[in-house]
Amino acid sequence: MQKIIKLSLTLFVFCVLAGGSLAGIYLLTAPLIERNTRLAYENSVKEVVPNGAGRAVLVAPRGYGGQIEMIVGISTSGEVLGVKVLKQKETPGLGSAITKMSFLQQFIGKSLKDRLAPKEDIDTITGATISTRAVCDGIKQALKAQP
Amino acid sequence: MSLKNDLTLGLLKENPVLRLMIGLCPVLAVSNNAINALGMSLAVAFVLILSNFVVAAIRKVVPDDIRIPIFIIVISTFVTIIDYTMQAFTPELYAALGVFVPLIVVNCIILGRAEAFAYRAPVLNSVLDGVGMSLGFGLALVTIGVVRELLGSGSLFGWQLFNGAAAATIMILPPGAFITIGLLMAGLNKLENKVL
Repeated sequence: MQKIIKLSLTLFVFCVLAGGSLAGIYLLTAPLIERNTRLAYENSVKEVVPNGAGRAVLVAPRGYGGQIEMIVGISTSGEVLGVKVLKQKETPGLGSAITKMSFLQQFIGKSLKDRLAPKEDIDTITGATISTRAVCDGIKQALKAQP
Repeated sequence: MSLKNDLTLGLLKENPVLRLMIGLCPVLAVSNNAINALGMSLAVAFVLILSNFVVAAIRKVVPDDIRIPIFIIVISTFVTIIDYTMQAFTPELYAALGVFVPLIVVNCIILGRAEAFAYRAPVLNSVLDGVGMSLGFGLALVTIGVVRELLGSGSLFGWQLFNGAAAATIMILPPGAFITIGLLMAGLNKLENKVL
């Protein structure tokens, strides 16, 4: 009986120490983390809307490995200014190529007048048709979104 | 057991991945290119060295019966602290390594070394063991990453060396990891009597 109490108390002390240090670290870092997240978001907005004229739309089309979070910059005349993939879980080495500039560049200048269809006006990534189509869907969604 | 021995054991003779065969889950998952492999190795080295240090330092006050839960508390606390600290102070580094940090919790090398080594050895030996095991883990992981990226994507550390369309895609998918690890293990076994 005495042993159980001693063991529980030891474990309790360790948990309190761990919990306390975690709480401390959290209080210390939370404001900084929040600031970094905001800065990162503002930077990606700047990246897709380079001269500040236009709007940035967040979309999350369904890809092969889950949702693809991307930000699309759209000019006042309804053309794509820039695209950036923020988060994706596509197949590494295949679908993950959607994050490359060489792939995303082809969307710049497209508008709702374009078909935005893989193999027609969009070059498909070999072995990643679904990921390519998802990005096209995302761009269309962003273009259709009301300003 | 000499200090030098503690440091070098993890490199080849008791390489955590290729000889002890622990921590294979993250190895399979993040070795599809060399940069990911290097990132994971750095993150693991960080946690492993620190956790070995703390476990060795507290080993005299930890009762035998509850050592495992206490190790887990120590390791997960460390991982969370590192996760927060990196997010707050080195956002660029976190953007590159961030995805690997939560994966470290499921890396049994950390718990394995706490139980098999740090719990039974002085602080200095344990830190050296952490360094050696991290180097061995990194060596194996980066080797696998280089082989898979080269054959599977035609690139090395992100530099395109030949047309990716000519590469064997299977190498960057899970089967490629199993094939590469298997061949490396076989090679190391073959060399066993000569170099180890």
